[in-house]
Amino acid sequence: MPEIGKTDMSNIKPLILGVALDAGAITYGPAEGWRDRWSTLFATLDGVAEFATIEDGFARTSGDGPDATLLANWLAPRAPRIGLIADAALNFAEPFHVSTAIATLDYVSEGRAGLLAQRLRGERVSEAIAAIGALDGFPRADDEALDQDGTDAIEVIRRLWDSWEDDAVIRDPETQRYLDGGKLHYVDFRSDSFKILGPSITPRPPQGQPVVAAHWAKGTDSSLALAADLVIVRVEDIAAFRALPGATGKLVIAEIDDTDNLFAAARAAVVAGAGALRIALSGSLEQAARFASDIAPSLRAAGLVRPSAEGPLRQRFGLPATPNRYATAA
Amino acid sequence: MSKKQVILGAQFPGVNNFTVWSDPQAGSQIAFSSFRRFAETVERGKFDFIFLAEGLRLREQKGRFHELDVAGRPNTLAVLTALASVTRNVGLIGTLTTTFNEPYPLARQLATLDVLSEGRSGWNVVTSPGAFTGANFRRGDHLPFAQRYERAREFIETARKVWAGGAFEAHTRHFDLSGKNAVGPLPQGAPVIAQAGDSDEGRELAASHADLIYSRHGTLEEGQAFYADVKGRLARYGRSPDSLKILPGANFVLGDTQEEAQANHRAIRLQQVSPKSAIVFLEQVWNRDLSAYDPDGPLPEVEPDVEAQLAQGRATRYDQRLETAKAWRQLAERDGLSIRDLIIRVTERKQFIGTPQSVAQEIDRHVQENAADGFVFAPHLTPGGFDVFVEKVVPILQERGVLRRDYEAGSLRANLGLAA
Repeated sequence: MPEIGKTDMSNIKPLILGVALDAGAITYGPAEGWRDRWSTLFATLDGVAEFATIEDGFARTSGDGPDATLLANWLAPRAPRIGLIADAALNFAEPFHVSTAIATLDYVSEGRAGLLAQRLRGERVSEAIAAIGALDGFPRADDEALDQDGTDAIEVIRRLWDSWEDDAVIRDPETQRYLDGGKLHYVDFRSDSFKILGPSITPRPPQGQPVVAAHWAKGTDSSLALAADLVIVRVEDIAAFRALPGATGKLVIAEIDDTDNLFAAARAAVVAGAGALRIALSGSLEQAARFASDIAPSLRAAGLVRPSAEGPLRQRFGLPATPNRYATAA
Repeated sequence: MSKKQVILGAQFPGVNNFTVWSDPQAGSQIAFSSFRRFAETVERGKFDFIFLAEGLRLREQKGRFHELDVAGRPNTLAVLTALASVTRNVGLIGTLTTTFNEPYPLARQLATLDVLSEGRSGWNVVTSPGAFTGANFRRGDHLPFAQRYERAREFIETARKVWAGGAFEAHTRHFDLSGKNAVGPLPQGAPVIAQAGDSDEGRELAASHADLIYSRHGTLEEGQAFYADVKGRLARYGRSPDSLKILPGANFVLGDTQEEAQANHRAIRLQQVSPKSAIVFLEQVWNRDLSAYDPDGPLPEVEPDVEAQLAQGRATRYDQRLETAKAWRQLAERDGLSIRDLIIRVTERKQFIGTPQSVAQEIDRHVQENAADGFVFAPHLTPGGFDVFVEKVVPILQERGVLRRDYEAGSLRANLGLAA
């Protein structure tokens, strides 16, 4: 890893700091303790990390834990600053339900919602299929089908978020209409495996398009990552991701699991062109307290991480505003 | 002997013509602040639970989106879980279909709500119209109509296995699945199960599987007949009459005097049935375009079109159009009603209309005389529709000794007087 001196760093844009939490991790103990633990954890992290990804343990037989999107909805009113990127195993969920649940998170959090589009692999795939049953409209267990279905699901979810124009609710006493039906749109998505008509039942969320994140690792299919706004990549794979056609404009989140070499890894992430840093936390309260009192302030003092920003999550990540794809000219 | 307690549910005003949006006091149907304010109000009134309806496809008519009524809602489970974060005692019941969900994901989500709310979750089990709603889901119209209750029963039984925690499996006609769940066992054992619907099949499903039945509110006598019928079915399943609570969905209008309440009622009905809404209602029976008719004028002379299906996404279907039209004509003629007045009349539901004192008394009477165990009330305004009820009716019910002065139990199940 090249050594970067302080002078070099001063010209570089500091990273957005986030954390990764696994909702199904064993650390959380039995369910009766979850409420207090999650509450304390987010009281500690709110305002320190700019965002948290909450991994979902869907059908994981070693511990599935709570539904991550619902947990995020529960956390949103009690943690007023942190961005909440909730994970969903898209291949085994109904895109319609995922789209309304994330849109609702965006309403509850007033613009801090994101979706982590999860592509299960290996044993997790067979566990998920066993838990829902092998059903028509859901993908087969092979990589190609799962990759295709995942990008299809993201496309549908994004279309559903746009299916109401921002000014669809008119409450017009003159015409006695609550809605302007011309501002609602069928998404009419059709693929080989499923069809979704729309529009959503939930009006367009505050951010228009909540942020969509996905993982990418060298040697895997890139379609899901290229359909996302934020791509979570291990530091050593960032250069390979950047070289992919279509990677331009994606914000890279450098994934760091090992906090021992944190500073070196953060420097390498900055140099490789990452925009954010995501540090995996175990869910231990002691570790979270150390993160808030020690790790995050030192990263900021070293100029590697920027001060916490507030406001809509898209804006914090510097993502462009998204015009509604269905909007009719005014 | 102490008096039978009144169970109170609060339905969030939603997607139907009963919810008035044109009133200056009508607030957002989607902002979380509306849901929060609504929940805080009914919790202050010591209600048992908040109740959310479901609609998984926007209503359409004549191939167009229905524009006249409130539309748009959050994801039910997501907003209930968010409400669990800002309330402490009130129960959280969501209407969720067994047709376009699968048992493991839905049971795990309800388990999440139950844990995060410390035992306040409830599930109103419904089935959905296949082709219309199915257009928004992966499996599409996958379920023959006749099998929808069978699937619902198997669904609840499978969900119970998930809620028990640990390994689960089901190998039934509708489900073939297995896995392991770490969320259960749940704080209240299982979410409170509600069943909506007055059909014979619905009543039987309630008797075998549900804790609450959400029914139609009619006269005292109709209520008593329904109550006796449903409670009478319980012995067959080895259940006591107390183990299933009967809660009609009802509405109320208050005033300082009886006359003022009636005047308020008339004003609200005019808001609920706008001139255009009246025509649209009529079109549902006539099954043809009546937009050229004057809502303040007489009924059309033309007869209903009995051919095609017109309205979709509505609970009510009019199969006997000619007979309905004939009855409406007679009523309009007899009482000299315009189209709008007729629609106001025929879409009227049985309501509690009166002073806080008389409304409290009537609610209590229905409960003490076994026409109900309580009510699920839907106000006509979001989010302040319960403000006056909580301020004025609730203290009278408390005074009468039929409503708690404070929450005693932790879980919804315990608040409702149901065994764990």
